[in-house]
Amino acid sequence: MKSKYSRSLTVLFWAALAGAPLFLGGWNLGLLSQLMIYGIFAMSLAFIWGQGGLLCFGQSLFFGIGAYAMALTTKGMIPGVPAITLAGLVLAMILPALVAGLLGLALFKGRGLYGAYFGIVTLSAAVIAERLAINWSYIGGFNGILDVPPLRLEWGSWQIELYDPLLFFLVVLVAAFAAFLVLLKLERSAFGTVLRGIRDNETRAAFLGFETAEYKTVAFAVSGAVAGLAGALFAVQFAFVSPAILGFALATEVLIWVAIGGKTVLLAAFIGALAVKSVENVLSDTLGQYWLLVLGLLFVAAVVVLPRGLLAPFLNLSLPPALRRSEPLKKSTTT
Amino acid sequence: MEMTLLIGLDAASYILTLLLVCIGLVIIFGMMNVINLAHGEFFLLGAYTVVLLQQYALPFAVILVTAFVFVALIGLIIEELVIRRIYHRFLDTILATWGISLALKQLVIILFGPGSQPTVAPFAEPIAMFGITYSSYRLFIMGMAIVITATTFLILFRTRWGLTARGVIANRQMASCLGVNTRRVDRVTFAFGSGLAGLAGAIMAPLMSVDPQMGVGFLVPAFLSILVGGIASPLGAIWGASIIGGSNSVVAAIWTPVIAQIVVFSLAIVVIRLMPDGLAGRKKR
Amino acid sequence: MLSVRDLKAGYIHGAPVLKGLDLDLTRGDCIALMGRNGMGKTTFVKALMGVLPEIAGSIRFLDQEIVGLAPYQISNAGIAYVPQGREIFPDFTVEQNLTMGRIGKPKQQNESFDFIYEYFPILAERHKQLGGTMSGGQQQQLAIARALVGRPDLLLLDEPSEGIQPSIVQELAAILRRIVEQEEMTVIVVEQNLNLVRRLAHHVHFIENGLIKSGVAVDEINKDPAIISRYLSV
Repeated sequence: MKSKYSRSLTVLFWAALAGAPLFLGGWNLGLLSQLMIYGIFAMSLAFIWGQGGLLCFGQSLFFGIGAYAMALTTKGMIPGVPAITLAGLVLAMILPALVAGLLGLALFKGRGLYGAYFGIVTLSAAVIAERLAINWSYIGGFNGILDVPPLRLEWGSWQIELYDPLLFFLVVLVAAFAAFLVLLKLERSAFGTVLRGIRDNETRAAFLGFETAEYKTVAFAVSGAVAGLAGALFAVQFAFVSPAILGFALATEVLIWVAIGGKTVLLAAFIGALAVKSVENVLSDTLGQYWLLVLGLLFVAAVVVLPRGLLAPFLNLSLPPALRRSEPLKKSTTT
Repeated sequence: MEMTLLIGLDAASYILTLLLVCIGLVIIFGMMNVINLAHGEFFLLGAYTVVLLQQYALPFAVILVTAFVFVALIGLIIEELVIRRIYHRFLDTILATWGISLALKQLVIILFGPGSQPTVAPFAEPIAMFGITYSSYRLFIMGMAIVITATTFLILFRTRWGLTARGVIANRQMASCLGVNTRRVDRVTFAFGSGLAGLAGAIMAPLMSVDPQMGVGFLVPAFLSILVGGIASPLGAIWGASIIGGSNSVVAAIWTPVIAQIVVFSLAIVVIRLMPDGLAGRKKR
Repeated sequence: MLSVRDLKAGYIHGAPVLKGLDLDLTRGDCIALMGRNGMGKTTFVKALMGVLPEIAGSIRFLDQEIVGLAPYQISNAGIAYVPQGREIFPDFTVEQNLTMGRIGKPKQQNESFDFIYEYFPILAERHKQLGGTMSGGQQQQLAIARALVGRPDLLLLDEPSEGIQPSIVQELAAILRRIVEQEEMTVIVVEQNLNLVRRLAHHVHFIENGLIKSGVAVDEINKDPAIISRYLSV
C-alpha cells in the first residue's frame, strides 16, 4: 500500500524544512533544530526496527554515547584526540557504531537472541549504561558534563563558531538530510532487501545462504552511528549531557515517536518525532499532567489499531525498479 | 558470623521479594506469551491501594485481598480492551503494555501527585534471633512470598483450573475442541497474573517509598530473572529470582549496590544469550 | 440429528475447499468418509468442529445451528473430535488428558472414568503415565477415550488408523464397534483403511472436490470390494 503522492510529499517536506529560515525567527529555528535532532534519532530506530525487525528498547544507549563522545572530545577530555568539532562528530558516530556492532555480534551470532529477548536485553544494556555514567566521576557522574562548546568550523587559520541559530539549524538540516539519504539508500539497496527478508522470515533467509547475523549486526551498527550523530548534535545544542539521555526514559520515548509515525518509513518516523514533540510543546501547557496520559493512550491505540503507524501509508516510497521484482528476497540481488 | 547471617537474610529477603514480583510476570509471559511491561504499574496500583485504604483504618489482611482483587479487575479490563487484540502480535504486546504502563503511571500522578505517600507497616518491631535483630515485617514479606508462590503452584498443578490453563497453553485449538472456553481462560489468567502483581505491591508498600516511580526499579531485575530462569515453566521464576537476587545481594555486600546491579545485569545478559531457554528451561514448542 | 446444507468452507477467503456440501445423519448412523487426498475429508470434520477461518452455509445439529459457534460451544453441544495425529497432551497424565475431555461439561463432571476404562483397560492400567510416553496405538486410544468422557452424541474420528500397526487397528476397530453399539453413538469416521471402515461403518460416502458424490452401504462393499477402487480411482 503506498500513496501515489508519497514522492512529492517527501520532496515537499524537505523543501519546507529548508525554507523554514525564511519564516522562522531565531528562537523557533532553535526549537526546530531540536526537533530535527530527535527526528534523526527516530530514523535510526526506524531503520533497525522497521527494516531489520529488531525492536531495540535501548536505542538511547547509542544516542547517549554519541552525546558523551562529542562533549568529552570537544572539551579536550579524551587524551590523544584533538578537541575539535570534526573529531567529536566522527567519534560520536564511530563509538556507538562500535558498541552496537559488538553488541550485535554478541547477541546475533550462532543461535542468536530473537524478538522480545533482544528488546529486554537492549533495555537492560541502556539501564546499565545509565548507572555506569552516574557513577563514573571522570565523565561527570550524576551531574553530567556542562559547558559543551558550540560547533566550530576550522579551515587553516580561519575558524568560526556556530553560535548563530541559523547556522546551527543549517548544520542540523544537512545532518538530517544526509542521514535520511544514507539510510534510504541502504534500504533501497540489495542489502536492504536481504534485511527485510530476514525481518520477515529469518530461517528462510538463512536457508537461502545469507549470514543473517552479519546483516543484522551491520544494520545495528549503522543505526547506532546515526543515533550517535543525533546525540552529538543534542550535546552541542544544549551545551550539556547527563546520564539520563542514556537510559530508559529516552529509549522508550523514541519508540513512541517511531510507532506513531510508522516504523517502516524513515520520513514517517522523522515526522513522528517532530509531531509528537511539537504537540507536546503545545499541549503540555494546556493539558498539563493529562498530556502524558493522552500520549500513553494514543500510543496504545496506535499499536493496536494502526501497527503500521499514522504517517507511513502516505510517505512510503516505492522501491527502485531493479529491486521491485526481486522482492521478496532473492539470492541474485546480492553477490 | 552475625555479618554472614545478616547478609544471608538480606539476600533471602531480596530473592523472595523478587520472586513475589516475578510470579505474576512469569504467569503472563510464560503462559500467555505476553510481555507485560505494565507489570510495574500493576505493582504500583497495589501499593496505592494500601495508601488509600489505610486512611480508613481497615485491617491489613483486608487491604491485601482488596489490592489483589482491584488490580485483577484492572487486568481484566485491560485484557478485554487491549491485550486480546494483539495476542498473535508478540512484539506489539511489549509496546502496548508499555503505553498502558505510561498511562497508568500518569493517572496515579494525577490522582495522588508525584510525591511519596505515607504507609504504615502493620507491625514493625525488630525480632532478635541468633545474636542479630531483623525487621519483623521483612520476615513477614519473606513468608508471604513463599506462601503466595506455593499457592500459585498448587493452583497451577493441583486444580482443575490450573490443568485447563496449562492445556490451553499446550494446545489451544485442541483444548477448545474439547470444550474449553479459551477466551475465559485468557481473561482469568491475565487477571490472576495482574492481581499477583497488585498483591506484591501491597505487601511491599510499607517497606518502600510509595511513589509513582516505585514499579520501574523492579521491572528490569524481574524480567532478567524470569529470562535467566526460563519462561517455559513457572519454576523458572524461582531459579531466576534466586540467582539474580542472591548474586545482587552478595556483590552489593562486598562492593556497592550500584556495582552489584551493573555486574549482575551484565552477567544476566550473558546467561540469557548463552541459554535463551533459561536455566530451568526446556525449549518451548 | 445432523443436517448439513450447502456447506462452503476452507482456510483462505475466496478459496473454499468444501463447495456446497450436503449431508444428513440420523441418530445411530455410522458413516465413513473416503476420498483421495485433498478432496476435503479433514476439512469437513474441521468445519463441523468450527475451527476453520472461512465457513458459510448451514449445519444443524440436534435442532441447533452450529455454524458460527466457537469450537468449545460445539463441543459442549455434543460433538466430540478425535483429530488426525491424535493431539493428546503429552505432558499430562492419562487421567489429566481424560479430565480435559469433560472440562466444559457440567453433567459429566463427577462421573467416574470406569466406563471408559472398561473399553480401554490399558488406560486404566496406565492412568498415571504421561500421555507423550505411550505408544501410537495407546495414544490413539487415549484420544478416543478423551473424546468419549464428555458423552457426546456425535463422534468425529479423523484417520484413527494412521501410524498404527495393522494388528492394533483390528483391535481398535473392535473396541470402536462395541462403543458405537453400546453407547448408541453417531459416528463420522474419515479413513483410508478399508479394514477399519468395514468393521466400523454402515455406510461409506465418497468426497470428491469438496462435495459428497455418492454413498454405498458397507454390505455392498463386502459383497464386491472392487466398488471401492472404482470410486476412489476415477
